[in-house]
Amino acid sequence: MKRITPFLLLLTILLSACSAIAGKANPSPASFDINDWDSVVAAAKGQTVNWYLWGGSESINSFVDTFYGKALKDRYGITLHRVPVADTVDAVNQVLSEKQAGKDPGAVDLIWINGANFLSLKQANLLYPDWANKLPNSQLVNWDNPAINRDFGTPVDNLESPWSSAQFQFIYDSARLSPAELPRSYAQLKEWVIEHPGRFTYIAPGPGAFQGTRFVKGALFEISGGADQWSTFDQATWDQWSPELWKYLNELKPYLWRNGETYPKDENELHSLFANQEVDFSITQAAVGAGALIEQGLVPATSKAFVFDQYMIGDFNYVAIPANAPNKAAALVLANLILDPALQAAQILPENGFGLGYGIDINRVTDPAALAKLQDAAKKLGDAATSPADLAKSLAGDSDAQYQNLVETGWRQNVLVSSK
Amino acid sequence: MAPAILLVGTLFGVSLIYGLAQSLGLLTGTDQRTLSMAAYQNVLSGSEGVGTEFWPSLGFSLWIAGVSTLLSAAGALPVAVWLNHQSGRGRQMDTLALNWNLAFPHLVWAIGLLLFFSQSGLLARLAALLGWIQNPADFPVLVRDRLGMGIIVDYVTKEIPFLALIVLAALRSQPEDYGVVATNLGATPWQRLCYVTLPQILPSLISGSLLVFAFVFSAYEVPAVLGMPYPRMLPVLALDFFANPDLHHRAEGMAISLIIAAVVMVVAAISLRYEKRAGYSQ
Amino acid sequence: MKALPTYIIRFLLYGVLAAPLLLFGLYAFSEHWFFPAFLPKDWTTAPFTRIVMDPQTGNSLAASLGIAILSSLLSLLVGFPAARTLGLRNFRGRQVAWLIFFLPTVVPPLAVGMGLNILFLRLGLAGTLFGVVLSHLVPTIPYTIFTLAGVFASYDENFEHQAWVLGATRLRIFFNITLRLILPGLVVAGLFAFLISWSQYLLTLLIGSGQVLTLPLLLFSAISGGNPTSIAALALLFVLPPVLVIAASARYLNQHGNTVREQH
Repeated sequence: MKRITPFLLLLTILLSACSAIAGKANPSPASFDINDWDSVVAAAKGQTVNWYLWGGSESINSFVDTFYGKALKDRYGITLHRVPVADTVDAVNQVLSEKQAGKDPGAVDLIWINGANFLSLKQANLLYPDWANKLPNSQLVNWDNPAINRDFGTPVDNLESPWSSAQFQFIYDSARLSPAELPRSYAQLKEWVIEHPGRFTYIAPGPGAFQGTRFVKGALFEISGGADQWSTFDQATWDQWSPELWKYLNELKPYLWRNGETYPKDENELHSLFANQEVDFSITQAAVGAGALIEQGLVPATSKAFVFDQYMIGDFNYVAIPANAPNKAAALVLANLILDPALQAAQILPENGFGLGYGIDINRVTDPAALAKLQDAAKKLGDAATSPADLAKSLAGDSDAQYQNLVETGWRQNVLVSSK
Repeated sequence: MAPAILLVGTLFGVSLIYGLAQSLGLLTGTDQRTLSMAAYQNVLSGSEGVGTEFWPSLGFSLWIAGVSTLLSAAGALPVAVWLNHQSGRGRQMDTLALNWNLAFPHLVWAIGLLLFFSQSGLLARLAALLGWIQNPADFPVLVRDRLGMGIIVDYVTKEIPFLALIVLAALRSQPEDYGVVATNLGATPWQRLCYVTLPQILPSLISGSLLVFAFVFSAYEVPAVLGMPYPRMLPVLALDFFANPDLHHRAEGMAISLIIAAVVMVVAAISLRYEKRAGYSQ
Repeated sequence: MKALPTYIIRFLLYGVLAAPLLLFGLYAFSEHWFFPAFLPKDWTTAPFTRIVMDPQTGNSLAASLGIAILSSLLSLLVGFPAARTLGLRNFRGRQVAWLIFFLPTVVPPLAVGMGLNILFLRLGLAGTLFGVVLSHLVPTIPYTIFTLAGVFASYDENFEHQAWVLGATRLRIFFNITLRLILPGLVVAGLFAFLISWSQYLLTLLIGSGQVLTLPLLLFSAISGGNPTSIAALALLFVLPPVLVIAASARYLNQHGNTVREQH
């Protein structure tokens, strides 16, 4: 036993050294009053904001670091710690696990979020309440728009603040297809797919792949003849139409890429299939259409976006603050900064790599210089984007969040697994 | 001794206890305060959600682990026997190369296979260059396929070196004389291999193969990268349910993970029996 | 004298080593490289430089290295005395001790990580470098012990006794005799621990809470991003240290005559 004593001693020293490093004290939560913005800014100074967001896109990562990281440091003395997650659900889980373990303060200050993930945290009462309308830049947000004040049908209730807008679109390669050949509805898509076996697929609906879910929901809207009935949850409506939906998708299945035995699991896998000519269409949510993807080198330079005539689901995405966030003041400052007109203008430009649409309503911007910037940026979207008129014409709101899970699990059981 | 036992035993033991508690519905952040077998029931016989996927996943996992193990063992034998006949610097280099293969993390290996074997990967491009195929769809599906061939290729190429080195160690620890005696008694090289060499190394090979089986059965990274949305291998299924924001699914994920652990422990126990027969080779 | 099988096996052996590196090289230093182009047209070092220079890459490389080095040092420190006892002595409970070390080498990190997740959150260890190192020790210590125990099994204690009789101090005996005799085994055991910790994804994911970012986590995130250039660049960065470490310890590996054990 004597022999191990020195080792034990060394171990203890090492371990305690480690915990000293690891336990670098959380900054004491400086107090602030949410109604007094100056006190928020003062409390945020010197804090580090831990922003959990999907990290799969290098260009979005660098946009966040360049545009928000720098501005936070220079203007507010806040350090941005961007925590890339493979799926937003990981961030939600982190907060849920912290609740399980009773950990307060936790690790997460801000999450890029919407839809089912927002619903999870809202239902579990894990979000910091009553702040979104208190941000100074909140006046630029059109809170009367149901697409903003409801997130997948769930009332936002000032628990999250918008970042950007997105709308479902398809991408085609103008070097391969002409606009006249493009399908303009789900019915036409079926004809096209049957004529071109193996050349189309969509993203497997599921957590982390909401674009796939959205493709399927669009089909549900068209089959049932309208989007409006889906904005509130009704089991009977679902039971009535879902068999039709599975029927449609199963009719597509044998003509899909790899005969529908498998599906790309996310947007990027589909982009790669599209870029390598395995399929002829991809899917995007970006205001710039294929623009940002071309910039990133993910799709050919001749790629363009297009929409069907109807049922292209659009929505907003948000940032939310967990109730146990350690640096709430800094998170508030960041959420406010995101709505800054100059940064909103920067976020839609293809060359900056983010490429989603405005979260603010540019009609509410009064500062002429800022307004000019926003209008100017909108003109520079390039010809890889869908025209704003087409986007507006085809826009449909998303369905109630409760349908999300039904569509995803139902699709797995009735389309993916089913051998029909 | 004491610190190691304390550290490993505590961490490992506690992780199992906490895991068990969670699979029984405790500590999962829900309001449940009593033990419940609901998660296991859902997993083993549920009619929706996890229940519909568990058995296909188990079958798929057994298939992948079984085939990978058999092919690795079959591939490792000739490599080891061959290497045993090499000598000098060449042999040292070759042994080092095997070790190097082992040092490649599985994750990186999987990515390499994906970039190489996919329908628009380098191999498909070569086929297109040679005019064998026109479209990516003409190229056979080798990764992310229904049979899990991509996953199997990954494991086989990585486990052959592992098993070869184990068999090599067994070969080297055997006295050369048996082989010489057999040759003197007129055995052909083939007979020598079957009746002398093989029985000597079989216990080590079986023991090592079972470890490979246990590893393949329970590893996450490779099926996560090279797998399909359905069927999924058990570890992928387990983490997916564990990470579900609906806390009720956590217990199910944990239950699957413990089932995996139980299977692995049984396989490891059998492996140990063979290892004893092979002599103390740790 | 060289027969055909020799060439075939050698070709496969070295080909399998070189192929992924070449493949990653092609993807890492090119852009817009789509089917059916067999070789890239747009060669560029820009994305590679951008990724390598990105502070996040640097930080996770540092975290990966720090965690792996710390894990292997701690494993050696804790494992050394245990391995000595296990290799040299026969004592009551030896079987039990052996089993305690054996189980973590087969039970997957998935189960261990999921189990420790909540506990470490409660203890405040989740999301800390220390917590992650601690979780890595669960698989690394046993591997270290088994490697070293194998070495000790053929270790002759009489050298130490003789030195003791001749009046050497404990410290001198340790440094001049024990350490020298055991060095190849020590290097190899440390190497195993390093490799296991280095390629660990699940334990870091489940214990690190996204706060501790290592290269495998970054790589998984890049895979979900789907850009082959970034994936390949990170993959290159990720394999480089193991390749270098093996090269540096090649001498000891051959001396030790053991294998790099399975890394979970």
